[in-house]
Amino acid sequence: MAFQILLNIGLAIIWMLLRQDFSPVEFLIGYVVGLVLLYVLRRFLQFDFYFRRVIAIVKLIFLFLWELILANIDVIKIVLSPKLDIKPGIIAVPTKLKTDWEVTLLASLISLTPGTLSMNFSDDGKTIFVHSIDVPDKEAMIKQIHNSFEKAIMEVTQ
Amino acid sequence: MKSSLMLHTITRIVAFIILSFSVFLFFAGHNNPGGGFIGGLMTAAGLLLLYVSFDLKTIKRVIPFNYTTMIATGMLLAIGTGVVSMFLGDAYLTQYFDYFQLPILGETELTTALPFDLGIYLVVVGVALLSILTIAEDDA
Repeated sequence: MAFQILLNIGLAIIWMLLRQDFSPVEFLIGYVVGLVLLYVLRRFLQFDFYFRRVIAIVKLIFLFLWELILANIDVIKIVLSPKLDIKPGIIAVPTKLKTDWEVTLLASLISLTPGTLSMNFSDDGKTIFVHSIDVPDKEAMIKQIHNSFEKAIMEVTQ
Repeated sequence: MKSSLMLHTITRIVAFIILSFSVFLFFAGHNNPGGGFIGGLMTAAGLLLLYVSFDLKTIKRVIPFNYTTMIATGMLLAIGTGVVSMFLGDAYLTQYFDYFQLPILGETELTTALPFDLGIYLVVVGVALLSILTIAEDDA
């Protein structure tokens, strides 16, 4: 992946040298030309096209922003309701992510979403203990949300 | 083949440089030396380098272009550019150009010669590679 980015930047610099114009616009055009060439010959390099991961990262950011808005609305509902009929609890969320980096990212995304907070990891790093503000009616749903985060992270790093 | 290891490694980088140079030549054609023909030949040369340094079967999987359709598409594009000017009341293959204020790129001159050139480009790439590959695949 790093090699492809390096090659793409190199192609953009060669493009600027050919055009004898060292403006950011020319760099951008050269970068796009290199990107198209890399896409056309993507199966020629032994690993897959790197821009797919960039798209996956953008998708992950938008997914996170969307979840953030939804969770904030939920927390506002709880705070503003006159009766405090919530049932806080701690759930163990098993994760299929392998590297430490991925698990850390998943845990921080969970923490940044209001209402849920990742407290600790199991010893093997395969389970995250999540404290949630309102469990009984939501456990299945939260698991599903975490699965969507997990899936998006796996798309980036697989 | 262990002997062609160096060829493979260098081809992986050089092919991209040749292909980006061919794209540059294609766009330089209006005001500088270059254009559809030489750009197409350069692209064909870049792709040919892939065919020469790797075996035919691998590259067939990597570059799934059908060169016969490519020639037809290029011809249609070139003829279509000419026919458009006939519909607008001018002679066949009349060239139109204008300056446009595009986002990011700034003021750019866009002409109808560019799609015509693209047609030429596709025909040249298709003809060059199709003739070379037809000879290469001939076992008899």
